[in-house]
Amino acid sequence: MRGVSFSVDKGEIVGLLGPNGAGKTTTIKCISSLITPTSGEITIDGVSVQSGPNEALKGTSAVLEGNRNIYWRLTPRENLEFFASLQGINPKNKRGEIRKLLTSLKLEEKMDTPARKLSRGMQQKLALASALVREPQLLLLDEPTLGLDVRASREMRERVKALAEEENITLLLSSHDMDVIEDVCLKVIILKSGRIVVKDRVDNLLDLFRAEEYKVVLGGRLKEEVKASLRRDFSVTMSPDSEELRTGFEVEVAEAKQIYPLLGRLQEEGAQIVSVSRGSPDFEEVFLNLVEGGRDED
Amino acid sequence: MKIRLILLWGILKKNVIERKRYFFNSISGLLTIYLIFVLIFFGMKSFVSGPQFGNTADGLVVGFFLWNFIVQVYSELSNALIREARWGTLEQLYMSPVGFGWISFSQVLSSLAIFFLANVGFLYLIMLTTGRFLSLRIASTFPLLIITLLGVAGIGYFLGGLTLVFKRVESLLQIVQFLFVALVMVPVESLPLLKHFPVSFGASLIRRVMIDGTPITGLPPSDLGFLLLNSTVYFLLGYGAFKYFERVAKRKGLLGHY
Repeated sequence: MRGVSFSVDKGEIVGLLGPNGAGKTTTIKCISSLITPTSGEITIDGVSVQSGPNEALKGTSAVLEGNRNIYWRLTPRENLEFFASLQGINPKNKRGEIRKLLTSLKLEEKMDTPARKLSRGMQQKLALASALVREPQLLLLDEPTLGLDVRASREMRERVKALAEEENITLLLSSHDMDVIEDVCLKVIILKSGRIVVKDRVDNLLDLFRAEEYKVVLGGRLKEEVKASLRRDFSVTMSPDSEELRTGFEVEVAEAKQIYPLLGRLQEEGAQIVSVSRGSPDFEEVFLNLVEGGRDED
Repeated sequence: MKIRLILLWGILKKNVIERKRYFFNSISGLLTIYLIFVLIFFGMKSFVSGPQFGNTADGLVVGFFLWNFIVQVYSELSNALIREARWGTLEQLYMSPVGFGWISFSQVLSSLAIFFLANVGFLYLIMLTTGRFLSLRIASTFPLLIITLLGVAGIGYFLGGLTLVFKRVESLLQIVQFLFVALVMVPVESLPLLKHFPVSFGASLIRRVMIDGTPITGLPPSDLGFLLLNSTVYFLLGYGAFKYFERVAKRKGLLGHY
C-alpha cells in the first residue's frame, strides 16, 4: 500500500473496490490492527489504532472471511454469547437482544443448531450477527456477499443498508461485486496496486461516465462510404446493421460537444435520427474505465 | 477486572462446550496416552523386580502424570492458535478490546482447569492400573503444580509465537515433548544443572510430596523461592518472545493466515 488516505464519516457506507491484489483486504486489516503499516496513521474516533489498538477498536467489529469468522462447533446462540463476552459484555444481559438479532436475520429456528450444519448463507449471516452483537459503531466487512446465492446476497445487502440507515453504524466494505457497491455504498474508493485510483460518491462516478457516452439510433441503413467517413472524423463505435433496417450505433466522444457536429453530419447525409440518448454505464464499466485508464488520485 | 472475568468465563464455557460436543475426540487422546503408559509400565515390570520396583513404579506414575499435564499445557496455546487461524476466528480474538494478552492467558487458564480435572482422573486410573496409590496431598501438590506449570506456560507462549510466524510447528512441538520427558524423569539430584531448566526442579519437589509424603510446609523455603523465581523467569521470557513474534507477524501481515 502507498499513499492511501481517506476518511469515513459517521453512518456512511463506503465501498473498497479493486482487482485482486489491489489492497482491499490489507486496508481493512490495517484498520483492524491485524497488520501494522510501516508508516502513516490510522485513527478511529480520534484514537490511533497503532498506539492504542484496544481503545481504538472498542467500537469496531469485522467480518473478514465470510462464513469462517464463527465457531462451527457452537450453535448460533453460543457463538453470539461468546462474541459478546469477547467484548466484555455479559452474555446473560444480552439474551433478549441475541434472540432479537437472530430473529432479525431469520436464524431464530436454527439458534440451537451447530453452525457447521447451517447453509453458507446462514453461516455468513451468523458471522454478521457475531459482529453486531459486539455493538459496533464501525463495521468492517470483507467481501460480505462472496459465495452467496442471489437471494442470500440480496438479504445481506438489505441488512447492510439498514445498519447505516436505521442504526447509524459506519460501514466500510470491500467487494469484487460491483453491483453490491453500486447498490449499497454511498461512496467508493477504488484501489489498484496498493494505490487509490479514485475516491468519490458512487453517483458522481456514474454521472461522470454517463456524460461522456451517447447513443444515437438511426432509422434505415447508412451507406458504406458514410460509415467510413464517420469512422475517420469521429470516435464512433457502430453496431452491425440489423434485419429490421434500423441501424443503431453507440458514439463515444472524448468531449460532449462532439455530439453536435456528429448529428449535423448525419443530417447532411440524410440519415433519419430516431433517438439520441445519454448512455447509462453500469458500475462495472465505470470501474473498468478507471482501473484500466489508470487515473490516479494522487 | 469485571470485563476480564466475563471474558475468562466465556472462554472456559466455549472450551467446555467444544470438548463436550467432540467428546470422543477429547477422550481418545487420553486413552492413547493411557495405553502408552500401560505398555511402558508392564514393559518395565518384566525387567525390574524386587523392592526396587516399588520406587521405580512410583516415579513412573508421578512422572507420567506430570509429563502428560505439561505436554497438554505447553502445546495448548500453539494448538489453539493453529485451530483459531484455521477457523478464521483468530482475527476476531485479536480485535477484542480486552487485548489478546488476556485472551491467550484465559485460554491457558481455562485449559488448565479442564486438564486438571481430566488429569486427576487419569492419575487415579494409572494408580488403579499399577496398584501404586500415592499421596495426592492436593493442598501441597496443587500450588507446586501451578508454579511449575507457570514456567511451562512460558514455553507455550514461546512456541505460540513461533506458530504465529512460521505456522508449521507441529514437528517442533513433538520434539519438545521428548525434551520434557528428560526434564521430568531425570532427577535434579543426579544432575544439578537441570535445576535451572524449566520443570525439572518443580517435578523434583512434587515427587517429594507425592512419593515421600513431605508436605509443602516441610520443603525448604529457599527451594520454593527458587521454583517460583525459575518459573516466573521462564514465563516472562516466553511471554516476551510471544509479544515479539506477534509484532513480527503483524508487520508481515501473517496473522491469521494458515
